[in-house]
Amino acid sequence: MSVVIACYKWVIDEADLRINADLSVDSSKAKGKISDYDKNAIEASVQIAAELGGKPIGLTFGDSMSKNSLKDALSRGLEEAVWIQSEEAASADGRVTAQVMAAAIKKLENVSLIICAEGASDTYARQTAPRLGALLNLPVVTSVCNMQLQGQTLKLQRKLDDCLETVEVALPAIISVLPEVNEPTIPGLKAVMAAGKKPVTQWTGKDLGVDLQPRVQAAPLQGYVMNRKNIILQGEPAEQVQQMVAALRKEGVL
Amino acid sequence: MAGIYIYSDKANIAAELVTLARQAGKTAVLLAFDQDQADTLTQCGADQVCLLQGDSPLPENYAQAVADLLTQEGADLLAVGATARGRDLAARVAGYLDCGMASDVSSLSYQDGAWQCERMLYGGAVVQGQILMGLCVVTVPAGKFEAASGNCDITALTVGADTRVSLVEQTPIVKTGADLTNAERVVCVGMGLDKKEDLSMIQELANCLSAEIGCTRGVAEERHWLPVEQYIGISGAVIRPKLYLCLGVSGQVQHVVGVRDAKLIVAVDINEKAPIFRSADYGIVGDMYEVVPLLVQALKNA
Amino acid sequence: MSDTEKFDAIIIGAGPAGSACAYTLAKEGKEVLVIERADSPGAKNVTGGRLYTYALEMVEEGLTQEAALERRVTHEQIMLLDGDRSINIDYHNPAFNEAGQVPHAYSILRARFDEWFASKAEETGAMVACGIKVDELLVKDGKIAGVIAGEDEMYADVVIAADGVNSLMGQKAGLIKDISAASAGVGVKETIELPAEIIQARFNLNNEEGAARMILGCTEGIHGGGFLYTNQDSISLGCVFMPEEVARHGQSVHQIFQNLKMHPSIYPLLEGGETLEYAAHLVSEDGFRGIPGKLYRDGFLMIGDAAGFVINTGSSIRGIDLAILSGIAAARAVIDSQDPVRVGPAYMQELNNIGLIPAMKAVEGYKDLLEIPRIYTSYPGLAADVFTRLFTVDGQVPRSLRKEIKGLLKKNQLSLWQLLKDGLRGYRSI
Repeated sequence: MSVVIACYKWVIDEADLRINADLSVDSSKAKGKISDYDKNAIEASVQIAAELGGKPIGLTFGDSMSKNSLKDALSRGLEEAVWIQSEEAASADGRVTAQVMAAAIKKLENVSLIICAEGASDTYARQTAPRLGALLNLPVVTSVCNMQLQGQTLKLQRKLDDCLETVEVALPAIISVLPEVNEPTIPGLKAVMAAGKKPVTQWTGKDLGVDLQPRVQAAPLQGYVMNRKNIILQGEPAEQVQQMVAALRKEGVL
Repeated sequence: MAGIYIYSDKANIAAELVTLARQAGKTAVLLAFDQDQADTLTQCGADQVCLLQGDSPLPENYAQAVADLLTQEGADLLAVGATARGRDLAARVAGYLDCGMASDVSSLSYQDGAWQCERMLYGGAVVQGQILMGLCVVTVPAGKFEAASGNCDITALTVGADTRVSLVEQTPIVKTGADLTNAERVVCVGMGLDKKEDLSMIQELANCLSAEIGCTRGVAEERHWLPVEQYIGISGAVIRPKLYLCLGVSGQVQHVVGVRDAKLIVAVDINEKAPIFRSADYGIVGDMYEVVPLLVQALKNA
Repeated sequence: MSDTEKFDAIIIGAGPAGSACAYTLAKEGKEVLVIERADSPGAKNVTGGRLYTYALEMVEEGLTQEAALERRVTHEQIMLLDGDRSINIDYHNPAFNEAGQVPHAYSILRARFDEWFASKAEETGAMVACGIKVDELLVKDGKIAGVIAGEDEMYADVVIAADGVNSLMGQKAGLIKDISAASAGVGVKETIELPAEIIQARFNLNNEEGAARMILGCTEGIHGGGFLYTNQDSISLGCVFMPEEVARHGQSVHQIFQNLKMHPSIYPLLEGGETLEYAAHLVSEDGFRGIPGKLYRDGFLMIGDAAGFVINTGSSIRGIDLAILSGIAAARAVIDSQDPVRVGPAYMQELNNIGLIPAMKAVEGYKDLLEIPRIYTSYPGLAADVFTRLFTVDGQVPRSLRKEIKGLLKKNQLSLWQLLKDGLRGYRSI
């Protein structure tokens, strides 16, 4: 039976991030979530797996906190999950992530299709799918906004900057999807209940024999701040407007 | 030759990345995958244009060839313009080279034998400094460097291309809105706008300012009051006008990041606690339905 | 479990009542499903608030030690406000904090506590499904047989409604009507973040101790009161009002609450803090008299706030401990009843055995005390005036205190006779 893999990532919800006065980033009160577009990838994998008569499997690489993602992911129609747990996941760069995922995928059999989101909501680096293609020697199609399975061939529409491009690729392949590709279903009660019973395979980075040292040296996160004048014009609306026009003129933008 | 290898499916970004190479004191080689592109690139001030000719019309399919070339030539860096195509190709090459990669850098420079860059995370709320050493790949958005110019020659190579993905057809996306990226003045409207008909008031203001009109994501993608090409933000248009005047825009990070390089940011919003005021040079806390007509009047009289 | 099987119990709501019930049932090996509409338990819940630990110890001895709690309450305070003035009585009992004993009460934050409690129930074997809203009750032959959520149907021997004040499930079961404005108060609350050291300095606490304060006179004469609790690194400040009077008053609940925040005796306690969240919730105000006539029907029980189990005596507000007790009572009823038809009456019996109904009955009279309008309109002012006179030394020849007090009563639109009548009414109610 063919396997369709949905790669997903457990990220910190950016809405919960707090920026301190010294611009350091406080994520201590932040809740985790499955990265937004990964839900589209999971939905796509469930749909294609059904069309292929295959099995959709979730694959994720994360630290111990990412365990919380498994029930959520499994409630979305996946039959199984593979969780590669490693504390180094938090500091992994694109190269390490792809190496780990590729090593895990190699251990699975009959993989027909690997689906990633175009990018994760925290880093939005968009490296995973293309790198996997290189590492696994599989064809890759990115920026997919529409997909159609025709036998063992995928007909895909890509939304690029200036054009819509339609390509074809024979399975096995790797694709990365844009959120336009589908509307993820909201899990119902039975789906949520079933999630807890689905099998989860757990591996570590060491099990897979991957070097988890990032090649990209990252500095600590800093809140993004713009230095702007922050002048609030006072007075009645008419006065405020007068001041604004004067300011625009003074700044030379009129 | 060693040095910095550059690719972009947009010639203007390629020209900008040549300047990057010059600032780093390195040779600049531009990559092309078809003759037309190669010809255009000879004007971009590089040391050489390298034309890779193979069996696929899709640049991404040349990743292995590019990786082999970089290794062979002892290249220092692959710099790719951050477009959808560019990111795809760049990450594939990074995969073949098994090297580090920094995507969509907001700044990039060469210091002490390493590439130092900054990236935005979490929708633009957070900045991270990164350092890459040795042969690596970066993708760079438009507008980070001045475009270089000057002539050079083309060297052509025949290479193998990945033909597993075949092109069926390409349809250009017809942009119905204005080109915001080149506008000097932009008036942006946010979710504070009550009804679609009120856009006429915004248009009048824009006309007085000789400005183009933009909007926030919700106005385009949820309300469909303006075409999606006109929404400004991290996943929409990123612009650098002289004047950015926004009305009824709350100022969420994902939007503000799209105008962070604007020379002057001016905001009008009814909510004094709106985050936009922290990102603005000048702000008026007020009802835009009151302020805009007054502003139009004042500008006409000016 | 296949589609044709059913649970021993389906509990709607993973708050303290639901989790206490699920825990107790699962411990006995019963098949339990808890359905929670928020993405995580506690996300939609609001409390002052504090928890009296005896209730957790009744679920399981030693549970308090594991629980996600804030500070042990060692300072109980009552504050009267009038204008800019305040009188604050602080009762401190180190015995509330003795080593080796289970501390008497803790301040809590619902998101943390509820999530912990539900996870304990899960550990014990209950299934908890979050992010799911129950739309309807399944009725078969006049008996409640399960629930309908979206497109899914789930069956159970008994459905237990733990869905909070103004229980939607209770209404669907036909046991209660939509809550009337006279029986529920509207509570608003802000959680204000402050470093633990600052809280401890301002309230004179060590790093595990906490203060709990009831505030009277902060509601512009409207029947209601304020509260303040110190958490680990935040302060919970809030106000409860009777909505009908608010409507007549002119100022909004939000405005009155902001005035409380800015009071010269309150503001310095919050200064420099950052508001983390602002929440509002209904609160049952009727005590024993507010308990619905019937708490069960065939295949269905109501527990916790859904059953109106809230006591307000002015000096103490109890909701969470009663919710937990009722959850235990319901669980015991399910466990001990051989025939599902007996569960309802068994539940009522357990509510008595566990002391919940007797406790509520015992303080039933407090509602009469708390309905005296002068408690909100005049007595705080009178007290402040008396203290002002007592503490003012301005060189003038002191006048007779007795005569002064008579004058103050008049100033506050009171008479000695009214004072005595209210005193008697209060005396009779306690």
